[in-house]
Amino acid sequence: SKREIKMRKLDSTKVRPLKSEQLLHIEDHDFALRPGFGGSPIPVGIDVQVESIDSISEVDMDFTMTLYLRHYWKDERLSFRSNKNKSMTFDGRLIKKIWVPDVFFVHSKRSFIHDTTVENIMLRVYPDGNVLFSLRITVSAMCFMDFSRFPLDTQNCSLELESYAYNEDDLMLYWKHGNKSLSTDEHISLSQFFIEEFSASSGLAFYSSTGWYNRLFINFALRRHIFFFVLQSYFPAMLMVMLSWVSFWIDRRAVPARVSLGITTVLTMSTIMTGVSASMPQVSYIKAVDVYLWISFLFVFLSVIEYAAVNYLTTIEERKQLKKRGKASGMYSMDAVQAMAFDGCFHDTDVDMDMTPFPDPCEENETRASQTNISNVDTPRLRRKRSLKGNVGRIILQNNHVIDTYSRIIFPSVYIVFNFFYWGLYM
Amino acid sequence: SHIFKKNQDLTKARKGKTEQLLKIDEHDFSMRPAFGGPAIPVGVDGQVESLDSISEVDMDFTMTLFLRQYWKDERLSFSSTNNKSMTFDSRLVKKIWVPDVFFVHSKRSFIHGTTTDNIMLRVFPDGHVLYSMRVTVTAMCNMDFSRFPLDSQTCSLELESYAYTDEDLMLYWKNGNESLKTDEKIYLSQFLIQKLHTTSRLAFYSSTGWYNRLYINFTLRRHIFFFLLQTYFPATLMVMLSWVSFWIDRRAVPARVSLGITTVLTMSTIITGVNASMPRVSYIKAVDIYLWVSFVFVFLSVLEYAAVNYLTTLQEQKERKLQKRFSCSCGIPHSKTMMLDGNHSESDANSLAGYTRNQMVPEEEKPEKVVVHVAMSNESNSSRKRGLKGHVGLRIIQNTHAIDKYSRLIFPGTYIVFNLIYWSVFS
Repeated sequence: SKREIKMRKLDSTKVRPLKSEQLLHIEDHDFALRPGFGGSPIPVGIDVQVESIDSISEVDMDFTMTLYLRHYWKDERLSFRSNKNKSMTFDGRLIKKIWVPDVFFVHSKRSFIHDTTVENIMLRVYPDGNVLFSLRITVSAMCFMDFSRFPLDTQNCSLELESYAYNEDDLMLYWKHGNKSLSTDEHISLSQFFIEEFSASSGLAFYSSTGWYNRLFINFALRRHIFFFVLQSYFPAMLMVMLSWVSFWIDRRAVPARVSLGITTVLTMSTIMTGVSASMPQVSYIKAVDVYLWISFLFVFLSVIEYAAVNYLTTIEERKQLKKRGKASGMYSMDAVQAMAFDGCFHDTDVDMDMTPFPDPCEENETRASQTNISNVDTPRLRRKRSLKGNVGRIILQNNHVIDTYSRIIFPSVYIVFNFFYWGLYM
Repeated sequence: SHIFKKNQDLTKARKGKTEQLLKIDEHDFSMRPAFGGPAIPVGVDGQVESLDSISEVDMDFTMTLFLRQYWKDERLSFSSTNNKSMTFDSRLVKKIWVPDVFFVHSKRSFIHGTTTDNIMLRVFPDGHVLYSMRVTVTAMCNMDFSRFPLDSQTCSLELESYAYTDEDLMLYWKNGNESLKTDEKIYLSQFLIQKLHTTSRLAFYSSTGWYNRLYINFTLRRHIFFFLLQTYFPATLMVMLSWVSFWIDRRAVPARVSLGITTVLTMSTIITGVNASMPRVSYIKAVDIYLWVSFVFVFLSVLEYAAVNYLTTLQEQKERKLQKRFSCSCGIPHSKTMMLDGNHSESDANSLAGYTRNQMVPEEEKPEKVVVHVAMSNESNSSRKRGLKGHVGLRIIQNTHAIDKYSRLIFPGTYIVFNLIYWSVFS
């Protein structure tokens, strides 16, 4: 009991109950009214330290940022006497009892004050009534993005602070240290972007129903790293276009080969294009990457059309030759290996193939063949025609169509010129 | 009987016993212990329950831990005969002072609330307090993927007081290095967790001063097996599959072309698959190096066949020109065909020079054929070349191009060397 009394005397907080409240005269004032109520507007300084930019979403067109938001103002009702001029620090529970500015984030989608382990709020009161009020907040805010130069684009986003209730007649919001009010953590970095600059600005916003408000802006510019897209989209597209040029060097008689080469490169280009659009918003204008992929797709498509033209013209040419030489039997047998080159199928034995487009040189063959037949029954192959003389053979055996020869030069050079224009324009 | 029962209810006799016992109303607990005096030391202790997930795309990790704080608040001391502590749940927390520790760089966090708030408060007679809670926190971790998937990531969870600088609150690890314990089997599917260890430092904020910061550091080493199975092995198989093309007869044009082009398509799909679950970083990752070099190998095998095909066609044209120079004006089909396909038993109007069978004309047959020829033909065949057995025919009959022969050795050899270099650099 005696000990208890002694202990009680030693407890400095006990002597005056609710010392903070008594010290700060909480009960004496009505803190629902702002400081200087009815008088001049109260200036509230703002200071921001950005902890991190968590994510930038193209599809939602927003960004998420975590920051320490600090408010500075003077409330004389909170002044207290102190001999050593030191401030008093409190946590979040005092907030509910005094007046604090009601700053909100304009154009924010979601935001919250972190509350682990307790609400991340700090209040520091100085003897003359100056108050420092600090919060840790994560906010997701809208950012209008323009993708017409994606992925070689730069986006400008800004976070806007404004008081909800008090217009500029009641509360003046300003950056406490001017341009230096905005500071960032040591290693703020995003994987996909390079943060070009962080700057603070302020302005006035007019609402027709409620008046003029002070608005503070945190502006930052994000420049996208192109490396990922070069590796993921541009480089594969370029390789596919080059692969489609391989078709011009392959013998035009290899029909299945050239057609499957062309059609598979078209398929791969199509897959690349679908992959890029998957993570993008569905905008109504064309993006820079779309321009590149669609033109590459066009090149690949034209190589398929080119071969169709070559094949068609070859057929016409041979028919012309056929007409010149007269008709001949269309069927003749070939041995297995030669057949393989034509249709790509493996044959076990000699086949009889209908090779009408490939002109059968003249009737002389048939006469010769018949003669052969008489003399060599044991070699059935001799039945085949043996013509192939003169310029007929020369035309058919000339394996390069003039279109192919020109294409080998035209396609690569036009593509290179396109690349020069594209990168020169967008970089 | 009622009165008798009432007397027996010990808790009812004195209302609000805890509050009376701990003298809550007599003190102002919004102010810290020893307010205005020296800094209060708060010891921290932790037990990590689990590492829930590591996200590469968001660059964060989620951890669940038991966080315990120890300090001394003399205002809470009570007299006790047996020196036993009193245990309370979360409802008392709101009425007394607790340290306001928060997790720096955390994105989301919460104190578990099932079935009631997972909070424990234990007060000892001399005023020592043990405050324990169960928290799940998602915090940022800067990850470096330049060696992905053969990488190690170092992450840390940081604790700090929000309001009180080091002049008001001193945060320290209660047992030094042994303060952090882990559950028996803390386990992640994709990573090997190396030991968790603790450190502490001071952190400076320009506006608010110096704060004590405690760190929980851990290192994660990624298991490569999944990526071996998912990415490296398929890529290696595709490259090996593309080598099969060098062993296939060069006359099988569609086969070799479609083999090459389909392996290119598959490689392209594998590459797209890897990047789907990765953040879009601006540097090249180890897995990118492997996949792109493999892609280049596969691409080169397609170009190699284009070269082989083109050179074969050229060769064929040369042979034809050569043959034309030798032949007389009338053109001798027999000898022509002999020259073109190396076998006079075959002759096609549509000679597929270069694609012909690989058969040498046996010497013995020749006399017969000469006879036959003379008998059946009325052309002047005497100038038929016997020079066939020279190197002209040999060249045509040779069905393996030199490029193919060398490729069969060069491609595998170079790929094996690349693999040796890659695995020794990154492992």
